[in-house]
Amino acid sequence: MTREFKGYQHPQSFFEEFPPDSDWDAVVIGAGPNGLIAAAYLARAGLRVALVERRYEVGGGLATEEILFPGYSSNIHAIYHMMVDFMPVLRDFDLKQHGLVWIKPNLQSSMVFENGDSVLLTRMIADTTDSFHKFSLKDSDTFSRTMGRWRKIVKEILAPATYLPPMAPLDITLALQKTDLGNELLELNDQSPFDIITNLFENDRVRAILLYHVCMWGLDPHETGLGLFVPLYLDRMMNKAYCQGGSHKLAGCLAREIVRAGGVILDSSQVNKIIMKDGAVAGVELWEGRNLYSNAVISTLDPQTTFLDLMDGDQVPDGLKASAEGWKYDKWSFNTLHVVSEEAPRYLPKDPQASETFMTILGFEGTDQLLEHWDNVRAGRIDFDAFGGHSTCESAWDSHLVRVPPDQAHRQVSFLQMHAPYALEGGWDARRAEVEEAMLRRWAKYAPNMKRENIVMTNLETPEDIEIRLPNMRFGAIKHGDYEPLQLGCFRPNQDCSTTRTPIEGLYTAGASNYPGGCVLGAGGYLAANTVAEDLEVKKWWKPTKEIVKYSKEYLDEG
Amino acid sequence: MAKEERFDVVIIGGGHNGTTTAAYLAKSGLSVCILEERPEGGGAQETVEPLAGVRIQPHAIGNYAGAAPGWDQLELWRYGFRMDYNPRNEVPFDIDRGPMTRDGTVPVSEADQMGWAQAIGLLSDPPCYRDLLRATFWTPPHPSYVELDENTIPYMQVYRDNMPEIWSKEVLEWTMFDLLDQFIESEPFKVHQAYIANVSGAFAHFPGVAVPAIECVATVLPPAIAKPVAARGNMHGYYHALVRCAIAHGAVVRSCCPVEEILIDDGRAIGVRLRDDAAWGVKKIYANKAVISAVHIKPTFQKLIGPKQLDAGFMQRINDLSLKGGSLYMAHFLTKEELRYREPFKWSDEDPHPFSGGFYCMENKEIYYKNLECVLGRQENLDIPPDEAMWGMVASSLYDETQPQCTREGYHINGPLWMMVPTPQYNVDGVLAMDETPADKAKWNEYMRKTLSCVVENLDDDNLVEIISDSPWEQEFRNTGMLGGSWYGTRCDRDEWWNERPLPELSRYRVPDIDGLYLAHQSAAHPGGLCLMAVGYNLMHILIEDGIVEPGDWWYASPWYVPEAGKISAVPGEGRV
Repeated sequence: MTREFKGYQHPQSFFEEFPPDSDWDAVVIGAGPNGLIAAAYLARAGLRVALVERRYEVGGGLATEEILFPGYSSNIHAIYHMMVDFMPVLRDFDLKQHGLVWIKPNLQSSMVFENGDSVLLTRMIADTTDSFHKFSLKDSDTFSRTMGRWRKIVKEILAPATYLPPMAPLDITLALQKTDLGNELLELNDQSPFDIITNLFENDRVRAILLYHVCMWGLDPHETGLGLFVPLYLDRMMNKAYCQGGSHKLAGCLAREIVRAGGVILDSSQVNKIIMKDGAVAGVELWEGRNLYSNAVISTLDPQTTFLDLMDGDQVPDGLKASAEGWKYDKWSFNTLHVVSEEAPRYLPKDPQASETFMTILGFEGTDQLLEHWDNVRAGRIDFDAFGGHSTCESAWDSHLVRVPPDQAHRQVSFLQMHAPYALEGGWDARRAEVEEAMLRRWAKYAPNMKRENIVMTNLETPEDIEIRLPNMRFGAIKHGDYEPLQLGCFRPNQDCSTTRTPIEGLYTAGASNYPGGCVLGAGGYLAANTVAEDLEVKKWWKPTKEIVKYSKEYLDEG
Repeated sequence: MAKEERFDVVIIGGGHNGTTTAAYLAKSGLSVCILEERPEGGGAQETVEPLAGVRIQPHAIGNYAGAAPGWDQLELWRYGFRMDYNPRNEVPFDIDRGPMTRDGTVPVSEADQMGWAQAIGLLSDPPCYRDLLRATFWTPPHPSYVELDENTIPYMQVYRDNMPEIWSKEVLEWTMFDLLDQFIESEPFKVHQAYIANVSGAFAHFPGVAVPAIECVATVLPPAIAKPVAARGNMHGYYHALVRCAIAHGAVVRSCCPVEEILIDDGRAIGVRLRDDAAWGVKKIYANKAVISAVHIKPTFQKLIGPKQLDAGFMQRINDLSLKGGSLYMAHFLTKEELRYREPFKWSDEDPHPFSGGFYCMENKEIYYKNLECVLGRQENLDIPPDEAMWGMVASSLYDETQPQCTREGYHINGPLWMMVPTPQYNVDGVLAMDETPADKAKWNEYMRKTLSCVVENLDDDNLVEIISDSPWEQEFRNTGMLGGSWYGTRCDRDEWWNERPLPELSRYRVPDIDGLYLAHQSAAHPGGLCLMAVGYNLMHILIEDGIVEPGDWWYASPWYVPEAGKISAVPGEGRV
């Protein structure tokens, strides 16, 4: 039965509103990056698409908000955009016309040390090797040569593969064996991040900055079988981009593309349950009392929310239910201290460039401390005298974040972010003040001007706060689920759903908990748009990027 | 870098009025670009979540726009507009809630309820309630040569045709209090209505604006909207529907694009120049048909056009436009327990008495004038005893339970409490009187707590976690449209309303001597603020007159609109008049 899409007038009201019942070609749950991307592709393909978002603003982790109220906005979640060079969505849509501007500084990262030393990680390899040189000529040379090859591995293999459906491990091996680069990647993959870094590099400071970048997003330094992430993260962390106006801008631009193509976004609207009929998906029921009917529903939520909370138990196959129940959320989360300060942080190092980087890592004197901190975090602890994290002075890159009277316009917005356990010993709520003090103390040790007298305002966003703000990041899991071999590749979230199709007819999954994962890769939503377009037999108006075409020809015998 | 960029219309400012105007123009087929300086548009229609799970509305709260033609014409439901109640349920609204005085809540008598309903046109046959609202807000001012009297002023025509018992020359001289005296007996109820008008942009004690003032109250109550408070997603959700309507019709919206100059060539506005840090490469953007300034009137003339292009006499009158009267201090109270009324203030028999907002110290006119003497007369920080301070407050409990304002377990967010305070620009202690040091702000917050404590029993240290507040001075820089923290741009007095708003020669949204430039900010245009979709609708009449836009079949003009001689009538089919 098709329902006419027309305005609904509540008997007590003057004007028309959105109808209680409506029909759609596709309904997307969750307007994070993946939901936005899936909806944008499908809407432009001519489908009638509704996108449902629980928060009052779309974007999920693409959030730029005035949490230092009043007057100062902050990127409360995603800020370092690593895949801007490859994301198909940025090429397929002309987002620039909405004013989307990327800033990718050469001075990407620094690691600063108590004695005033520093090392850099830069967009241009030579500046990094220069900074390694003072510690080890050998490391400098190794980095230069290795990164040259790894950059190619990323461009020719890893980046394009991100936007194609996952492959079984055996198929990956067969494909990679076709080239030298592929074989190098296969060899790396069997090693742990720690082994790869320590085998290649001798100096501990060089090792520390590299290991931090490789494991920052949640790789276990000692886990084997995930070595392919090492070149990927190093290369991409050398190419982080900042979105001018804040990360939310990307979400806003995608939302505009959806709306322009006739899609409808219902924000402040939570899904109560997925409606089923005759064993297949029939739509979603919203808490506010509206139903959206559709034979295609894309959930970008984590597996437990999708399969256990939004569906009745008897509608989910046992294997799928068991897989969702066994889903492991991230091994650690982030705890972030957002501050407004009179002056931007000025770090100890003599090298002025160390204070000018997009991201500054502090608190670690070497790999031992780094590993110890991660061990602590996994045990639910923070050693207040020996932890570290990374910091960015956002307002240094973005004048639009500060909107205050002229006598305060010099003030800066920064954050210090650390890996932190969701379940902190003693509980976050009880230890807020203590944690904040410790973070400021630690920060001031490396940036002596970050003392209380310089601080105007703070806001501590703990892992619990992440979950409260973005309820789908359960347990503060920024990637909706841990990165470990059995939750990655074709196993993310499980073998039945990693292609975005699920065993339930009409239900698709496409969030950070799906292949290839989180961190605003722009992939899950893209892959879901492809599968839904194929299943609904809609002509795809988009073509794979040239990197994807080249990779498919060379490694997948396609073309 | 992009080549030279051109649109039919460039709109400066993506707040409520700029966005409404864009939606109307885009729906009419024009190419439109909105340039917004903040990272997120919406202006006063905004929500922030300063603490995880705690959402507040720093500015606009209630939907006043129920009678707007925009609902039919723009069909916002197509772009996801919903009010914050379940469409399948009856909407609860407790109309009996009365004003609060030092002695407690005063119930509203049936006679006063009926008097009130009569005054706003609910009891005429047929009811002229919606017509009164539309005649007041959704009609452009008449051409300057039209004599204004009881037969030509739109709302007077409605009274004449539907409620001849009220219609008289004298109404035009009345204050809102005079009008209330005709229909209502209880003084607290009159003061209550007066204060709602005050915080909605019109003063109850100013002669000559009695009807607009009472209509400011009528427009936020049922049946204009089924329930006070706003849309799902609050007022920002309403903005989302509006901007998405504009975008669906092809409008381009760019955030982080502050405009620094309106380009004027030979007496014609031809485009704009962006500030150097705007998120757009080529800083000049040209407009083929019109530049519309939907930013505050003062910077529009003082900065974007500038004294180089304007004479000193005109500049003086722009500088003199009053920012008075709508500067509100906003406070939200984060507590561990739900707030509870003290016994005399309870509204229901529920026990304990959960706080559900309201208006306090609405006792009598004496207290009303005492508050205004301080705010408008002496223009100094309040020295009124907290139990005599006037304020209104929205309780989170007014929102639908499926749209909670607080999802932080163990916490409640209450507010905003809004209180009229002196405009910083005229504060005798200087613009920083409330904001010089953190201690100033702490003092104000404490005052808000004391005055709320007159009504609420559990705002003690154990329960109160934090007061999240913003002063008018802070509001002005977060949102440059709110100069002086004024919620309505410029004062809505006899000299700055309707045909006088903001100046007589600017009242029809045009700018003499600068062709192609139109004004659409609440400070520069009738009827002003409240997020009514009114400025955009009214401006459409003028843009049609000037041949800039030809809307489709969905368009209808205001029945009280008078086309300007020699121009194209905005009434479909009338042609040039």
